[in-house]
Amino acid sequence: MLDEKTKKKAFERIAAIVGADHITRHKTDQILNAHDAWPLSEAKLRAGEMLPLADLIVFPGTADEVSHVLIVANELKIPVTPVGGGAGTCGGTLPIYGGIQLDLKRLDKITEIDHTSMVVRVQAGVVGIDLEEEVNRYGYTTGHTPTSLRASNIGGFIATRSGGSMSSLYGKIEDLTLGLQVVLPTGSIIESKAVPRHSVGPDLRQLFIGSEGTLGIITEATLRLFPIPEERRFRSISFPDVHSGLEAIRKIFRVGILPSVVRLYDPEDAALSFSMHFEFEEGHCMLLLAFDGDLKKVDIDEKKSVQICLEEGGSDHGEGPSKRWWEHRYDMYYPSRLTTGGYAIGDTIDIVATYDKLENVYHAMKEVMEEEDAIVMSHFSHMYPNGGSIYMIFFTSQPDAETAWATYKRIWDAGVAACHREGGTMSHQHGVGLSRSTYIEDELGSSFNVLKTIKDALDPNGIMNPGKLGLGVRE
Amino acid sequence: MEPDTIAEQVRMCGACPKMCRHVCPTFFAWRSEAPTPHGRALLMHQEITGTREIDERGVEVLYQCLECSHCLTWCKPEIDIATLVEIKRRDLVKSGQQPEAISRLTGLVKKNHNPFGEEHSKRSDWIKTSNSKGSRVLYFTGCTAAYRETGSAQDTVSLLEHLGYSVEIAPDEWCCGSPLIRTGDVDSGFELAKHNAEVLNRTDVEAILVTCPGCYRTLTSDYSEYGHELNKPVQHISEFLRISLDKLPKGKFDGPITFHDPCHLGRHSGIYDAPREVIAAVSGSSVVEMERNKENAMCCGNGAGLRTMFPDHAKKIGDERIRHAKNVDAQYLVTSCPFCKNMLASQSENEITVLDLPEFVMMAEKVHYDKTD
Ligand SMILES: Cc1cc2nc3c(=O)[nH]c(=O)nc-3n(C[C@H](O)[C@H](O)[C@H](O)COP(=O)(O)OP(=O)(O)OC[C@H]3O[C@@H](n4cnc5c(N)ncnc54)[C@H](O)[C@@H]3O)c2cc1C
Ligand code: SF4
Ligand code: SF4
Repeated sequence: MLDEKTKKKAFERIAAIVGADHITRHKTDQILNAHDAWPLSEAKLRAGEMLPLADLIVFPGTADEVSHVLIVANELKIPVTPVGGGAGTCGGTLPIYGGIQLDLKRLDKITEIDHTSMVVRVQAGVVGIDLEEEVNRYGYTTGHTPTSLRASNIGGFIATRSGGSMSSLYGKIEDLTLGLQVVLPTGSIIESKAVPRHSVGPDLRQLFIGSEGTLGIITEATLRLFPIPEERRFRSISFPDVHSGLEAIRKIFRVGILPSVVRLYDPEDAALSFSMHFEFEEGHCMLLLAFDGDLKKVDIDEKKSVQICLEEGGSDHGEGPSKRWWEHRYDMYYPSRLTTGGYAIGDTIDIVATYDKLENVYHAMKEVMEEEDAIVMSHFSHMYPNGGSIYMIFFTSQPDAETAWATYKRIWDAGVAACHREGGTMSHQHGVGLSRSTYIEDELGSSFNVLKTIKDALDPNGIMNPGKLGLGVRE
Repeated sequence: MEPDTIAEQVRMCGACPKMCRHVCPTFFAWRSEAPTPHGRALLMHQEITGTREIDERGVEVLYQCLECSHCLTWCKPEIDIATLVEIKRRDLVKSGQQPEAISRLTGLVKKNHNPFGEEHSKRSDWIKTSNSKGSRVLYFTGCTAAYRETGSAQDTVSLLEHLGYSVEIAPDEWCCGSPLIRTGDVDSGFELAKHNAEVLNRTDVEAILVTCPGCYRTLTSDYSEYGHELNKPVQHISEFLRISLDKLPKGKFDGPITFHDPCHLGRHSGIYDAPREVIAAVSGSSVVEMERNKENAMCCGNGAGLRTMFPDHAKKIGDERIRHAKNVDAQYLVTSCPFCKNMLASQSENEITVLDLPEFVMMAEKVHYDKTD
């Protein structure tokens, strides 16, 4: 927390930049703005605990204002934690060293849709669903369909390298972002031009995609658009085990088909998600597929994919489970009595690996997490020609807060260690934030030093989101 | 609601990953995490668990809620923030913690029997009724129509007479109590209820008609809940007109017509179809729906005292609703609430014609004659 003198000085100077209505130091605002959707924060709030608070919350309205606020923060050496939609799952917006929370929700303009190039220029604070609905009005989709679409912002998507459930076809946000405007920690505003590809040195835009607010503030982006597909078709196939399901997926990509949705539910997750609504053999996995495109292409892709699945030992269940998942995809994120009762806590470790390692990572993680008193269920999703991601979902319920938080940490430690041991990467789309911060050196190895050197060069006073992404951790 | 249920609900909601925030109009207006469903729940949760008392700013956040229940439409566990907030406001009023603007509002209603501070004697003395011989109905005008939307009030009377009714205005109608009940002062609200119930129960009419959904909700549910039963049926004008569709004036309107669902009529009273049927019968074409309609309709921004306390934010919400209507190229934005009409018309910048349902129907009458003259 800041001393009173610095806090007063910062308040007055920043109020002069953004206007008195757009800065607050009320404790109530500090509490209500503190947290994102990190399950540990949510569980602690339910348990009546207080989370770390910022001293000031600032709501800038333009990139210029962001720049001036950062100049003041630099001068006074105040930590700045950017806030997007506040629905990240890694504690990225927790102001663990106090200072300023820079909430970007007032950057809420959709500046321009360029119909010729099929791109949209949009400010960082626009909520995902608001952008999607606006471009839908013109016959487009962003192709970005994370289940946090209703809560997260464009800036947050980009800052965490997020991925939608249709990333197999449309790509993740790093594929969808053509241009960026970023305010550097020292206050200068830089633009990375929106071009489809380039050959002008390393792609600096990618430096900021996934930087989680540690290297600067994303204020605007140019995103790709796609025509809304003529047809979206769903298909579901059950498999006797994970192996045959994964083989089918691998072969579908190998023949050049890019389904929009590819999700393989392991026996536990399949039972929980579908057995109440559909009949399929106990202990079987369920593969959900969707195909987007024109009718003819969808027909061909679907037919060929089903044929591959049947050859791999799958049984066809029509559109049912897949379509149901799509229609109910938000449901599992709502609080329920079961998931919020007592000291219950769950989370997802969204790892990614190439096909040669994927199955081993899955089995190794599942085993060690279960040893730590976790119920584990998983689905393979966000699949690509060379590999894909696993949602290792776990849940534990303990008699008291202390045991619950300690168990939660042990499950994480064990899961990530197993992932690394088997050659996986610890996050496909959720990011690092606080929840994975301690593992980043294991993940990146010697290349962590490159990240650190860049951080020190861009943010000499270490003001930007300290403690996240393993950077700027203080004693 | 039982204290245990309240505790369970705010506990679940306070740490929800913001699943309904995108439709909360006060989140839209402030773009902050505080005036949100889960923000309000977290304040209450922390108080219940003894983590932290609700301070003055917390009270403000609770009073920024429009009680529009839009969040409930999107909440799978069906946590009703509007009701939870209203219950909490009652405690706040009891302990004298309500915002000053709300105390002033209560004072005005108590003194003048309307929230605008207008003279009670001028409430309805200007309304012209004729001596029709038809069956007798009582028009409970409500404060907004009586003082701020007089065109709507007069059109309501003319329309009812056009349909052959003999219209009475209550001799000593007071504010229905909605502004006080919704903002937590139930005791004062029910003094008004008691008075109105006595006055209304003495009249010799077949039905009581209301155009204001706030009055409708209060008269049909709050009055009886607190033991002030009315001895005749209370009907909303939209339902009343639906019975006589073929007798309504018909007219051709020169552009698309959309309908704004008032929260108290739609989400709180479940009336969605009646006004749409009336519009279709009168104009000969169905309503062009805004993207957010019926259970998913956005509030106009005028509810539960927000415009009194935060006029700029309330108007921002009204502006957005106007934008929704423009998105579907509507030329007429009809609602069935003088209060919503008042807000929406003030934000329409004359680019779109905003009408309360009785005004719309009477306009058809005029359009009709214009066309045939
Ligand atoms: C219900 C639910 C479902 C989810 N589903 C998915 C999913 O399908 N796919 C997926 O990828 N993720 C998912 N997530 C995780 C999360 O929503 C994403 O990681 C999202 O990208 C975070 O965006 P946000 O705007 O909420 O960011 P925030 O939580 O506000 O911030 C995330 C991080 O980015 C930083 N940051 C935010 N905005 C900026 C900016 N403009 N400039 C610089 N730094 C910034 C913050 O400091 C923080 O470190 C889900 C989360 C929830 C709660
Ligand atoms: S009202 Fe329901 S959906 Fe909205 S924040 Fe609360 S629990 Fe979540
Ligand atoms: S009732 Fe309306 S204003 Fe209040 S929290 Fe829910 S959506 Fe927001």
